[in-house]
Amino acid sequence: MSTAEYSNNPFIGLDSLTDNALMLRVKAGDVDRMGLLFERHHRALLGFLYHMLGGSRAASEDLVQNVFYRMLKYRHTYSADGEFRTWMYHLARNVLADHVKKNRHAAYHTDVANVADYLGGGHLADEGLEQAQDVLVLHQALARLSPENREVLVLSRFQEMKYGEIAQVLDTTEGAVRVRAHRALKELKTIYLRIEN
Amino acid sequence: MNCESTQDQLADYMSGQLPEPEHSELVAHLAGCTSCRAELEAVQRVWRTLGKATTPEPSPNLRPEFYAMLADFKSTLAPEPKYSPKGLWRWLRELQIPQPALRLAYSLALLLVGAVGGYWLNNQPKTTPADQQQLATLAAQVGEMRQVMLLTLIDNPSATERLRAVSYTKELDGAADAKVINALLSTLNHDDNVNVRLATLEALAPLAADPTVRLGLVHALAQQESPLVQSALADVMVQLQEHRSLPQLRALLKQANLDGTVKSKIEESIQTLSTGRPAAPATTPQRHDQTHVFPRAERPALAV
Ligand SMILES: [Zn+2]
Repeated sequence: MSTAEYSNNPFIGLDSLTDNALMLRVKAGDVDRMGLLFERHHRALLGFLYHMLGGSRAASEDLVQNVFYRMLKYRHTYSADGEFRTWMYHLARNVLADHVKKNRHAAYHTDVANVADYLGGGHLADEGLEQAQDVLVLHQALARLSPENREVLVLSRFQEMKYGEIAQVLDTTEGAVRVRAHRALKELKTIYLRIEN
Repeated sequence: MNCESTQDQLADYMSGQLPEPEHSELVAHLAGCTSCRAELEAVQRVWRTLGKATTPEPSPNLRPEFYAMLADFKSTLAPEPKYSPKGLWRWLRELQIPQPALRLAYSLALLLVGAVGGYWLNNQPKTTPADQQQLATLAAQVGEMRQVMLLTLIDNPSATERLRAVSYTKELDGAADAKVINALLSTLNHDDNVNVRLATLEALAPLAADPTVRLGLVHALAQQESPLVQSALADVMVQLQEHRSLPQLRALLKQANLDGTVKSKIEESIQTLSTGRPAAPATTPQRHDQTHVFPRAERPALAV
């Protein structure tokens, strides 16, 4: 199948619907509406998984599919008063945890080979290589954080979530998220100092 | 405000989540404290590095695979008999055998058979019947593993994995059992991805000596909506000289939305089959541009 098949936007008229309204329609059996939710969120979700996994695009993409599959399969658990994004990241964390359990040895895929992924992603060659090296170092640093601290940092910096929303995703309190964010940043700073010296 | 509580708030400050009056208090403290300013600079560098890291572009497969998965999911919502082959494949898929593990086991088994077989052949000029028996058992086990691989992957949400499953058919050396054949025929008729259906047809055609396959292919004609698969199936029917496909081919012609090219192709196939002329070799260029195919006799018999 080519992307051209999707270029005729089948979602005209639906653009104005909120994520919540779309997901409620999916829940009611109109599963095609998941298409627009995919269009809206797959990049951000890929980013979350990519940084959580340490930069393996292929593995992250498999997990993106898995998250959307679970949202379809468990659509009845979506509640009308919830936030779609919160629910999606909630499932994404479960998918991630399962993946890490199954691939214990490859829990965090930081690898020079991932630089190729990164460069293959349409970045300009010159600045691309330097950026890719920065990302590699970043992922090596992130790898040394505990997964709990890492995810708070990824959600707040890459997904630009506020503490309140992160708390909902993680099923914890805002105060706890705040403390983790602080600790994660401090740890990361120390790790960076060590890498640089 | 002391230095410790100031440094505790730097993360909130940088992410814009520090409320008043803490915000003003922090700014005031920073103005007069060099060590806290140094700390702020250090964490700000890390914060900025994080901000610069971008995510790669999704690969071109991600979107089509999502829509294939969605279509596949939709098809599972339709009620179907409990013990259908599809139900069985879904059950196999739900087992969620980690694919890398399965693939590894498969590769190891192949290696083992190669190594053991090679050792025997090199070291025992006369293989005893007992050795041959063991070799045969090993080979049979590998064959079974191939089948399990095929059956597990063929219902995978990812089209790439389904293509891989179909490709295992060749390695079965014609020893596909009824389960495999049913799975392949079901994929040929129901898979949402045209490429998977075409690959399945290609895998099934060499197995047409099996009457189930042959009949399955004949009946598949009525199931296909893609012009590509319709044409390919018509070709296979001609190559197999399968006269039972004539009613199916004629029925296809009556379809209102039939692609023009496919229409000529099918008329041509009907003509070839009913006049009993030899099937066109696969290498003959397909004359899709042809608007009328009659009278066939004027065309030199495959002399081109
Ligand atoms: Zn201070």
